[in-house]
Amino acid sequence: MPDPDAIAQLIARCALRDRQAFTQLYRQAAPKLYAVAIRILRREDWAQEVLQESFVNIWNHVAQYSPSRSAPMTWMTAVVRNRALDWLRRPNLEQGDADYDLLAESIPDEAPGPEALLAGSRDARALADCLKLLTGDQRQSITLAYVHGLSHAELAEHLKQPLGTVKTWIRRGLAKLKQCMEGNRS
Amino acid sequence: MKYRDEQTREALAAEYALGTLQGRARRRFERSLKEDPGLRRLVAQWQARLAPLDALIEPVQPPARVWQAIESRLRPTTRPGAATPGMGLAGLWGSLGFWRAATAVSGALALALALAMTVLTPASTPREMMVAVMADASGAPLMTVSWSMRPQREKALRIRVVRHETMAAGTAWELWLLPGSGEKPVSLGLIGTEATQQLQVPQKLARAIDGAWGLAMSVEPHGGSPTGLPTGPVMCKGPATQL
Repeated sequence: MPDPDAIAQLIARCALRDRQAFTQLYRQAAPKLYAVAIRILRREDWAQEVLQESFVNIWNHVAQYSPSRSAPMTWMTAVVRNRALDWLRRPNLEQGDADYDLLAESIPDEAPGPEALLAGSRDARALADCLKLLTGDQRQSITLAYVHGLSHAELAEHLKQPLGTVKTWIRRGLAKLKQCMEGNRS
Repeated sequence: MKYRDEQTREALAAEYALGTLQGRARRRFERSLKEDPGLRRLVAQWQARLAPLDALIEPVQPPARVWQAIESRLRPTTRPGAATPGMGLAGLWGSLGFWRAATAVSGALALALALAMTVLTPASTPREMMVAVMADASGAPLMTVSWSMRPQREKALRIRVVRHETMAAGTAWELWLLPGSGEKPVSLGLIGTEATQQLQVPQKLARAIDGAWGLAMSVEPHGGSPTGLPTGPVMCKGPATQL
């Protein structure tokens, strides 16, 4: 994980239109962000497009970043995630692409579970502890949606459940997650 | 559309951060985000809660062509197109004054001077411009300040920080008018570290600044110099030149 302080400083310099800082920011953050895009889009060519769009976007809107509101990597990840999700849900996205189907099948049933998170930072452990309180179905649908960018409909198909059921799992799971994480903080 | 109900706001922010808010609902939510700081805060909180799920992912090196594509799409840092329609760039480059000024401040500073040009906007398209290119002790330009000589009730300085220096905590940057001929510097006010900024000239200095020898910037305690004269190190200074 890139050093958050170094990233924050580079972002501050980018706000002053420092192109060198931007080059460094790309070097440090792009591999992680590219991986995030690949995971959601499941196609490298799309991920490259989205990464490119995202960094142009980051450069153009870097002045709007507020360090008090979010950690720098979280902010940049959100830019990439939103771009990737918009890309996936373009109205005229080519459907039935062979590569796409192939990769879609490789989605694991439960991606990073609470156990894997336990080894991480304090925030990661807090999330892990609270994910454990969710039912298996709630946990699975939330992590799959986040990690692989699956829509309600895709989740329903993947988990072979009615759409309404999946929506309820997610809604209740998120509510429980918030309650737990806020409770642990106070 | 406003989402007034706190529970709805929370649920939508969560599903937006999760990625399951889609289609029209997503676009509508994004429009609300633009004008609703409270909603942006809820989303940021959810992004932070879910972010640890990203920590586990193994980085992948993107191919070099991605960076090349990004670089080719960035606007150049000097933006000739930003020059004003009234006094277009061609006019500036052709203007004798510009080149006189550029030569006066030495070739090394010409670029900074060109940079200063990019902050001119139609509101200040006057023929008579003053520019001070302010350099540090080594002669490297740190910031440019430009203003219009036309008599105005409200005179504003356009400041461009060319090279960024970090402002230490508890300090301030104070801009000074150097009247020349041995007279004491006069404070123009405090400035920030932003790349481009504006500073209103105190009314009583509006005339003095047109005849100033130059400008300087010093590092002062928080709130500005306690004595009314520069007390900290002068970070940069430079002569004012009429274009």
